[in-house]
Amino acid sequence: MLEIKNLSKTYKKGNVKALDNVSLSINEGEFVALLGQNGAGKSTLINILAGNVTKDNGTVIVGDYNLDKNELETKKILGIVPQEITFDFVFSVGEILKNQSLYFGIKENQKYIDELLATLSLSEKKDAKSRGLSGGMKRRLLIAKALVHRPKLLILDEPTAGVDIELRRSLYDFLNQLHQQGTTIILTTHYLEEAEKLCDRIIIINEGKIIADDSKNKLMDTLGNEAMVELNFDNKKELSDFHFLTSYSPVMKNSKTLQMKASKQNIADIFYRISSNKVKFSNFKIEPQKLEDVFLTLINDESNK
Amino acid sequence: MKSNFLFYNPTGFFGLFKREVKRFMKVYIQTLLAPLLSNMLFLGVFGGMLKTRQVGIEGVDYLHFLVPGLSAMGAIFAGFQNPSFSIIVQKYSDTLKDLNSYPLSNFEKTLAFVLGGTVRGTLIGILTYIATIPFVGYSINNPLIFFGMLIVLSFIFSSLGVTVGLVLNNFEKMNFLLAIILTPLAYFGGVFFEVSQLPGILSKIIIANPLYPLINMVRFGYLGVHEGSIAIQSIFISIMSFITFFIAFLLLKKGVGLRN
Ligand SMILES: Nc1ncnc2c1ncn2[C@@H]1O[C@H](COP(=O)(O)OP(=O)(O)O)[C@@H](O)[C@H]1O
Ligand SMILES: [Mg+2]
Repeated sequence: MLEIKNLSKTYKKGNVKALDNVSLSINEGEFVALLGQNGAGKSTLINILAGNVTKDNGTVIVGDYNLDKNELETKKILGIVPQEITFDFVFSVGEILKNQSLYFGIKENQKYIDELLATLSLSEKKDAKSRGLSGGMKRRLLIAKALVHRPKLLILDEPTAGVDIELRRSLYDFLNQLHQQGTTIILTTHYLEEAEKLCDRIIIINEGKIIADDSKNKLMDTLGNEAMVELNFDNKKELSDFHFLTSYSPVMKNSKTLQMKASKQNIADIFYRISSNKVKFSNFKIEPQKLEDVFLTLINDESNK
Repeated sequence: MKSNFLFYNPTGFFGLFKREVKRFMKVYIQTLLAPLLSNMLFLGVFGGMLKTRQVGIEGVDYLHFLVPGLSAMGAIFAGFQNPSFSIIVQKYSDTLKDLNSYPLSNFEKTLAFVLGGTVRGTLIGILTYIATIPFVGYSINNPLIFFGMLIVLSFIFSSLGVTVGLVLNNFEKMNFLLAIILTPLAYFGGVFFEVSQLPGILSKIIIANPLYPLINMVRFGYLGVHEGSIAIQSIFISIMSFITFFIAFLLLKKGVGLRN
C-alpha cells in the first residue's frame, strides 16, 4: 500500500535535516502507529505524501503508483488529515464536503457525505460555517474531509492533539470501524497509549530516522520484558521488613505499598521469597511495562550512541 | 511534479472553478456592487462635466466615449483582484496547500482560478454597460467584439492576478502593486481620454502602455471606431493572453507559494 525508500528531506530554512534516509513499507489492511516526539519528522513525511513538501531524495510508491510519475493517481488513494486545522471558511460544513468531493472527481456524493456527518456527529452543523465549530468538531470535519473520496490509505497527523477524552474515545471507535472495513491506516501521535490501544504495528521515528519498526507485541517483548510488581499490606511496613528482596531494589510507594521492577521470569521468585518469609499481603498487582517506557528506552539508547 | 494531461479531472476542475465564482458571489457587495458604484461615480463626475464636449472621433460625444473605457477598466481590476485576493486569503488561512492534495492537473488548477476571475471581470464590464444604458442608450456597434474583448481582457488580468497571488503573501504588497502600477496604467491607458488628443511625447508614452490596445479594442467593439491598427493590436492581445496564462501556469506548476 505504501513503499518508502531512502527518503530524505532537509529544509533550506534553518538547514534542518527533517528526514534522514527513511525506508518503510506498509501493507494493505495494516493499522500502523508512527510514533515520535515533537520535531521527529512525522509531519514532514506526511507532507511529502500530501504534496506540500518536496523530497530531496528517495522513492515513494502509493498503491501501484510512483509519486514522481503518477502523482495524481496517488492522490485518489490517499486521505490525509493534516495536523493543523484549516478550512475554506467562506463555505459551510456541507459545502466544504461537497466541494472536496468535486475536487476528487465525484459529482454525486451527498449520501456518503450525510453518512459521514452522521457518524462523526456533525449532521446538525451541516449548514454552519466552519468558523463557528468547536475545536473537536473542527477536528472531526477535517477527518470527514479526508474521507469523502473513500481513500484506501488514511493518514492522520496527530488527530487527537488537544482533543478531550470522550471525543478521543469516539474517534478510536470510528478508526477501528474504518480499519475493519478495510482501510489501511497510519496514525501519527506522540501519545503512546493511543498507539498501544489501536495499532498492530509501531514505527518509531526520532530525529528523522526510523529507530524501531515492529509489531506492537514484539516490540514490547524484546524491549519490554520487565514488569512492575506491586504489593499491598494491611498494616504499615518499613523497607527493612523486606531485606529478602533487596536484590530487586524495591521501594515503598507508601507506607502500605511496596513496588519493584522485575523481569517476567523472576516474578515467581519474588512470591516464593515472600511466602517463605511468612509475610502476608492483602493484594498485589503485576503490570507489564508500558510502551512509554519502551519508547523512552529506545530514544535514550539512540541518543547515547 | 508531472501531470500528463491538460484535463485530467474535469469534474474537479469545474468544482474549483465554481468555488472561485461562488466565493465572490457570496460577498457580491464588495466584489460586484462596489466597483460598479465607483464606475457610476466616474460616469457622473467626468461624464456629467464633459458630456457635451465632442471627442476627436467624429460624431461621438464624451459620454459614449467613456462607457467602454469604464467597462474595460472595471473588467481589468475585477479580473486581477479575484484570483489574487482569493489566493492570498487562502495563504492567510493556510488552505492554499489543500490544492496540492487534489487529483487535478496544474493546468486545471490554473485555468479554474483564471476563469473564476474572468467571470467576475466580464460581469463587471457588462454590469457597467447595463448601468449606463439609461444615460447613453443600449446600442453597441459590434456586441461580439465588445463582449468578447471584455472576456479576453478579464482573462489576461485574471492570469496576472494568479501570478501575483502566488508570488506575494500579503495584501499590503498586492494593494501597493495595484496602486502604483495597475491604476496609473489604466488611467493613462485611454479610459478617460483619447490618446490622439494628448501633446506629442505623452501620446507616444501611452501607446507603449500595454493596457492601451486592450481598452482601445473594447471601445472599438462599442463604438465601431478605433485608434491604431486592429490587426497589430489583435496579435498583441493574443500573445498577451497566452503569455500571462503561461506564466501563471508555470508558477503554479513550480509550486510557488504552495510547496516547501
Ligand atoms: N517548513 C519548515 N521549514 C523549516 N523547518 C521545518 C519546517 N517544517 C518542519 N521543520 C523542522 O523539521 C523538523 C521536523 O518537523 P516535523 O516534521 O514537523 O516533526 P513532527 O511532525 O514529528 O513534530 C523539525 O526540526 C522542524 O522544526
Ligand atoms: Mg507534526
